[in-house]
Amino acid sequence: MAGRFFPAALMARRNLTRTKMRSLLASLGIVIGVVAIASLGMFGVALQYSFTQNLGDVGNQLTVYPNSGENVTELTERDIRAIRREASATATVSPVMTRVEPVSYNRGDPVRETIYGVENPAELYEAQEGRVSPFRTGALVGSSVADEHDLHPGSQITVNGTNVRVQAVLEEGEPFSSTNPDNRVIMSTNSFSQRGYSEVYVIESTGTAANETAMGIRESLNEREERVFVQELGSIVDTIEQQFQIINTVLAGIASISLLVAGISILNVMLMSTVERREEIGVLRAVGYQKRDVLKVMLMEATLLGVLGGIAGVVLSIGAGLAINHYAVGDAMAVFRLPNAWYVGAAFTFGVLTSIVSGLYPAWKAASEEPVDALRG
Amino acid sequence: MTVIDAQGLVKRYRTGGQTLYALAGIDFALEPGEFVSIMGPSGSGKTTLLNILGLLDTPTEGTVLLEGQDVTGLGDSKRTSLRKQTIGFVFQHFYLLPTLTAVENVEVPLLLDSDPGVTKRARTLLERLGLGERLDHKPDELSGGQKQRVAIARSLINSPKVVLADEPTGNLDSETGRQILDEFRRIADEDDVAIVAVTHDDLVNEYVDRTVHLVDGTIGRERKNGG
Repeated sequence: MAGRFFPAALMARRNLTRTKMRSLLASLGIVIGVVAIASLGMFGVALQYSFTQNLGDVGNQLTVYPNSGENVTELTERDIRAIRREASATATVSPVMTRVEPVSYNRGDPVRETIYGVENPAELYEAQEGRVSPFRTGALVGSSVADEHDLHPGSQITVNGTNVRVQAVLEEGEPFSSTNPDNRVIMSTNSFSQRGYSEVYVIESTGTAANETAMGIRESLNEREERVFVQELGSIVDTIEQQFQIINTVLAGIASISLLVAGISILNVMLMSTVERREEIGVLRAVGYQKRDVLKVMLMEATLLGVLGGIAGVVLSIGAGLAINHYAVGDAMAVFRLPNAWYVGAAFTFGVLTSIVSGLYPAWKAASEEPVDALRG
Repeated sequence: MTVIDAQGLVKRYRTGGQTLYALAGIDFALEPGEFVSIMGPSGSGKTTLLNILGLLDTPTEGTVLLEGQDVTGLGDSKRTSLRKQTIGFVFQHFYLLPTLTAVENVEVPLLLDSDPGVTKRARTLLERLGLGERLDHKPDELSGGQKQRVAIARSLINSPKVVLADEPTGNLDSETGRQILDEFRRIADEDDVAIVAVTHDDLVNEYVDRTVHLVDGTIGRERKNGG
């Protein structure tokens, strides 16, 4: 019998069952607060998760651009050599030229398009149809371009009046990557008359290595003037994740307003209860309960309300989390990931703490009443 | 040894510009096994005296000795501990906890001590008071007389030296009142517990050893029963 070991809990439990409906409604507030915090938190996590899933593995990519603000319009072979020196031995360094040409697909009207010149596209891309290498004369097209104009290996496109054969349709790229080929037409650098490059992709094995390389490139190329601009996708991802963190915190903050309301409702219930039980509490004090004993019994009631509401809230939150993850991530079981556990745990803790804090004032009020006054009726 | 020895008790209240004397110099002593009633009109200071004897209140002047120990100036926490050890209370309105059974109500004063023998002792007390059949009933399933028996059992759970009763028969019919007074008499005689009952009920005086009459905070005549 639990009451034997926790007599204060026994009294508290019985007191709560005395006004069942009232206790139920008071802890319903906590249930709502816990569910609000936990499910908004889990919603944020699911959003972030589905975003990083889309973002894919781009943290290890760098793009180096000439800084047109300093009148550097293209990167030279010397720049490329410097970049190769800074990049680690295993990194892929892929300089890219661009030019704008009128392009017509399927003998339609020519449209001005950017043509990308890549020396060795096999180190960046794989083919969906056809073959990427060897690459000398033809064109590679991205999947979106191919879909739009119904292009396949062997199709003809016209670039500045010259017929070019499509050699391959490329695999879809990562949506946020600067190497993404989906909307591009790629030709061999042989077809370019210019010598300079308009961007250089560096793909390292890890995000940390990418970061070090980025710093190295800035140091060696931007020593005298800001020649180049280095874009790190990793740092963009970090920024976006920080934004998500802020969104999550704001969501949790909004949710905790519902806990505040729940706390006030518990405060109200407990105050009513201390007024109604004034004589009973007076008797307890008369028969030898110290102030702290009364405090203990009353706080135990508040704690029980909180734990009760908290447990119900956690159960409902996990249900809500299953639904959220089912729709947002497409995997209901993703609810059992660590950040979610953190939110659910925090919501439960806040729920119980809110109850206890709300119970403090009524409990103190009950405990500090003089028994003589309470028993006078 | 005298259980309670109170000398020169004065209790003053200041309300507005006036000073009210609830007690105006009272000497009161209580021997073990003595059953004493305190009578007097409303406002004569009966309840104030009972509260001071029960360490619920402190006198403005005078001293209270509990088993020879001066308890006059003790703080709330010490007085609470002494109440728990040596004093039992019975109230006119019983003041049982409606959520607890008869046995649990009797255990209440010692409930937080996690003393394993308490339940057994509570049952024995209730059986002695003729409530063996009603041990696990809640107060709303008990009659007035039965509730007061539970309250008496509760006042005895800590083996007190003195039981203080405020209008113990006030809410009972005279037949039930007599049964309750029989119990008090028996407790005083058999257990050597001193009992003080504040009352308006003349019936009580048939059972007590002596009656103290209070008038305007002072002791009027005192009558001893049976010489």
